[in-house]
Amino acid sequence: MKKTKETGMTFTRRQTLRMMTAGGAIGIVAPNLLGKPAFAQTPPSEPTGRVVVGLSQEPTVFNPLMPHIETDDGVAFSIFDALFRITPEGEIVPNLATEVPTIENGGLSEDGLQWRVKLRDDVKWHDGEAFTAEDVKFTLELITNPDFRAWRTTGHDLVRDIEVVSPTEITWRMEEPFAPYISFLTETFIMPEHILGQAEDPNDAPFNQAPVGTGAFKWGSRQAGDNVSLVANPDYHGDGPYIEQLVFKYIPDMTVLYTQFRSGEVDLVGQAYITADNYAEAKALEDRVVTLEPRGTLESIYLNQALPVFQDKAVREALYYAIDRKSIIDILYFGVGGEAETFMPSTSSYFNPDLPEHSFDLEKAKSLLDEAGWVPGADGIREKDGLRLSFANSTTTGAHLREQAQQFIQQTYADIGVEMRIENLPPAVMWGEFWGQSQFESAMVGITYLIGADPDVTNRFHSDAIAAKSGSGSNNAQYSNPKVDSLLEEGAKTFDTERRKEIYKEIQAIIREDLPFLPLFRYVNVFGRKAGLEGFEANSNVRTESSNAALWYWS
Amino acid sequence: MTTTDINTTAVPRWWQSRVARRFFGHRLALLGLVMITLLTLACIFGPYLLPYDSLHIDLRGRFSPPMSGQHYLGTDPLGRDIAARLLTAGRISLLVGFFAMVLATILGTLIGVIAGYGGRVVNAVLMRFVDGFLSFPTIFMLLALAVALKPSPVMITIIIALTGWMEVARIVEAEVRSLKEREFVLAGRMLGLGKMHMMFREILPNCMGPIIVAATLTVARAILLEAYVSFLGFGIQPPLPSWGNMLNGAQQYLGSAPWLAIIPGIAITLAVTSFNFIGDGLRDALDVRNDSF
Amino acid sequence: MAAFLFSRFLQSAVLLVIVSIIGFTVLNLMPGGPLSQFALDPGMTPADIARITEQLGLNRPLHIQYLEWAWGMLQGDWGTSFRDGSPVTAVIARHVPATLLLMGSSTVIAVAIGTWIGIRGATHRYSGFDYVATVGAMVALSIPTFWFGLIGIYVFSLKLGWLPAGNMYTIGDQSVLNYLHHLIMPSVVLALVHIAIWSRFMRGATLDAISQDFVKTARAKGVTERRVVMKHVVGNAMLPMITLAGVQIPSLLTGALVTETVFTWPGMGRLFLDSLGYSDYPVVMGLLMFSALLTIVANLIADITVALVDPRIRLA
Repeated sequence: MKKTKETGMTFTRRQTLRMMTAGGAIGIVAPNLLGKPAFAQTPPSEPTGRVVVGLSQEPTVFNPLMPHIETDDGVAFSIFDALFRITPEGEIVPNLATEVPTIENGGLSEDGLQWRVKLRDDVKWHDGEAFTAEDVKFTLELITNPDFRAWRTTGHDLVRDIEVVSPTEITWRMEEPFAPYISFLTETFIMPEHILGQAEDPNDAPFNQAPVGTGAFKWGSRQAGDNVSLVANPDYHGDGPYIEQLVFKYIPDMTVLYTQFRSGEVDLVGQAYITADNYAEAKALEDRVVTLEPRGTLESIYLNQALPVFQDKAVREALYYAIDRKSIIDILYFGVGGEAETFMPSTSSYFNPDLPEHSFDLEKAKSLLDEAGWVPGADGIREKDGLRLSFANSTTTGAHLREQAQQFIQQTYADIGVEMRIENLPPAVMWGEFWGQSQFESAMVGITYLIGADPDVTNRFHSDAIAAKSGSGSNNAQYSNPKVDSLLEEGAKTFDTERRKEIYKEIQAIIREDLPFLPLFRYVNVFGRKAGLEGFEANSNVRTESSNAALWYWS
Repeated sequence: MTTTDINTTAVPRWWQSRVARRFFGHRLALLGLVMITLLTLACIFGPYLLPYDSLHIDLRGRFSPPMSGQHYLGTDPLGRDIAARLLTAGRISLLVGFFAMVLATILGTLIGVIAGYGGRVVNAVLMRFVDGFLSFPTIFMLLALAVALKPSPVMITIIIALTGWMEVARIVEAEVRSLKEREFVLAGRMLGLGKMHMMFREILPNCMGPIIVAATLTVARAILLEAYVSFLGFGIQPPLPSWGNMLNGAQQYLGSAPWLAIIPGIAITLAVTSFNFIGDGLRDALDVRNDSF
Repeated sequence: MAAFLFSRFLQSAVLLVIVSIIGFTVLNLMPGGPLSQFALDPGMTPADIARITEQLGLNRPLHIQYLEWAWGMLQGDWGTSFRDGSPVTAVIARHVPATLLLMGSSTVIAVAIGTWIGIRGATHRYSGFDYVATVGAMVALSIPTFWFGLIGIYVFSLKLGWLPAGNMYTIGDQSVLNYLHHLIMPSVVLALVHIAIWSRFMRGATLDAISQDFVKTARAKGVTERRVVMKHVVGNAMLPMITLAGVQIPSLLTGALVTETVFTWPGMGRLFLDSLGYSDYPVVMGLLMFSALLTIVANLIADITVALVDPRIRLA
């Protein structure tokens, strides 16, 4: 086996030679191969060409075990592998593992406490070292290492007694049954023990700025503030890669991002995607494929249940009736956005399609309030028992479409005698204690409820998860319903998929009835790519558009 | 507001004074005065005269270009009348600019007078403090402050004032230091007049010229700064319109609705140019040394 | 001279301390903090956030944090970025070249055009050119830089398609020409204000020089106008020019910040805004200190140069 540097250099030289013979000059081997005949419907035998992915936030964190944002994920998925991966349909399939542990195949014990994972034996790190169960052990232990700034620890903190049975087999015990863990493992990228394990402090190891993984692409170079460039890993254990260079380009301005997509400088519009106002124009562009991809995120108005006015169910219902949701989606969001009644993504197999549909009905809203005893006061704002039907709504400053929707809703609320004051805050202030400790009155937020495809939402809706009361949890609306609590507890311990479906559908029905938040719309992203970029697949179960770059190729 | 500035420096029948004649002889200053007066009047009365409310949303009539239909300057992404918004925004921007100037001038004058009249140590400490503020690229500090504090118009005004008083302080300090050795000051001291009296009753009135010029230019600067900060999204927050935040969302629609970016920019440029013209005219009229450009 | 230098250094040091205390306090008083951006992450619990807060040492008293930071600064350790974990100095260093390129090219443009306009205005005093230049300079000082940039993008990128709307180069083509192509619009936009300042300054300097005896003598001797201007005027204006260049550093940085935002230029201004957005205080503080340092050093160098070149200027 060759040493690290040599491998890299030979590869580059080979690559360069190939480019020279193919195009005569490096610049010509741009992905501009549109006019080619259609015989190339299968991937090329050698990695060819370059794909530039445009992102509106800069990827800066290259150790995916550390706190990072969505745009960092594209790089992570390309450089690293997890034990499993999740398909767009929500199915979990093996990646570094050879099979998904289940009770049937003996990977999981009946009580869900004992795990046994078998690993591939043909995987190599980018530096040529072999991947083994030691790397998995190292990774799982690093996450719970108190000195390491780990990103997510949920689930991992239940893991005990990790044992390396052989280089291709690892076992551990869970402190308590936790069904969502398999989903968490699809985003737990395995780190090289022989590099990161040797680092003095894994928090600021040089590795974090020049990562070595097992993925389809190797670290190339980075121009801070502009781009990160990855190169093909010819020894990848899975299918692909078929492109030679994968570039993530940071373009903070959405207009410029779209302009560069139109002009062809960007091959694929990534995170933050094409803005809704450009959708109609983008659709009509030649040689571009523009699609609408529903995401797992729900935009909604959170009503803080601790606020007296929101404790009246009639008020919550009236507020829901008084939102002209259709206009918001069709006009403000240019038709980009799906109607939704629940937090569960419509693509999920746990989605409940039988929930009552929202309608925009000001008269209904008024009569609900009248019946509940809320009568207009001198200034036109309704009152009941000395309580004015007035509340503040907050969101982050600078989110234009949100601010527009907010002002629009403010106007229809005024029509039914409800005063909604707009008090927006800078993101860092908004998402600090103000949100975490439920200090807001009402908030307009987009929330992703699921991790991977697992339907567990204990952290969002269980009454023990109200941080303002119990000190931990993300039940920011301070929602509390004993029935939901017990269903959530049952769901997290149930490994039978059919039973879980029943549980989570019932939870959705109860929450739709209680309205701790008013659903506005399901996020739909406008994806855009050059025609001829094949193999691309949108996956709403991951946070990035670039999770399967290994399979991309130019036809 | 500019007329009152002139009033404070003028004798009765001020329009016959040498200063006034020189100011009105300055064609650019006159032009600036006319422009800003018209703009201010439009901002004060315009919203009452226009048939649209600056906050009224009409989604079906969004993005209509200027001079098409009933909207003279077109509509924004929520279908609000841009003319109405522009004038309402002008009230905010001009008020922020004006009050930031007042605050900055008071603060700057205070520090300048104390530094100029005080002893060596007081002077050194205060003026190093001034240098400290000056050595900061203002916008960095302004943004850091705006992010840290809740962005209300009052807060933005204060922040702009906090980053804009140093020029005034420098000018006043220099002026006071030179006046300090003049006969009337020495005479006052001999008469046993108190420090406070000397600083604020005797010396300060004699520095009014440079202060007025600096104040006028500070308004211009404050309006620009408000626009910068609001454009970057850290300033005045919607639904309250300001010229800066009208531009904030405009970049996104540059291709499809360029008037959203063009119109508020022209308003800002007009207002700032006016104050700069007036400041220039006053400088000539009041014989202020041309030292701070 | 030594005493002068010493006192200037001392002043600068005190300045830096003041600047750092203000910046540090303001940033850290802000509610929320760097971890609030993960509040909506479904997999991150408040317990995770509390743990990282502690690991970063953000739950300690402010003055302790400040002293530790300041002590590190003294030893050349500017801290570690919350966002990506690399040293602040490395993060800043990655963005400095882009900003220097932008500031440098825009200074060249500003000095070249500004000097020409200024001298021509002074030698053709009260001509139409002079009048237009005077008014133009004042209008240029009144135009918001970012707005000028937006209009530039609208006209030259969106409508005419001549110039790129952003970024420093095209991926895959890093030739000098490509850089220049991307550099044109941002550097001209950034230069606008400075053209105005330089032209006003040169006009004044030239007028001063023209009225002086030696110029009158030279003219009387039949030396050509061009030679008179070039030799005496520009020569005489050199000193104040150096000072002016120093004084303009903060305003250039401010302009660069706004320009970089509009043109998505990967420089320090962009970094500053991004870091503010992520509440990456160590980087924000680093940039505040770096810009203050740059300004102070530039002013210091200007002072010293002037003092060295012109013995008439009394030191201290």
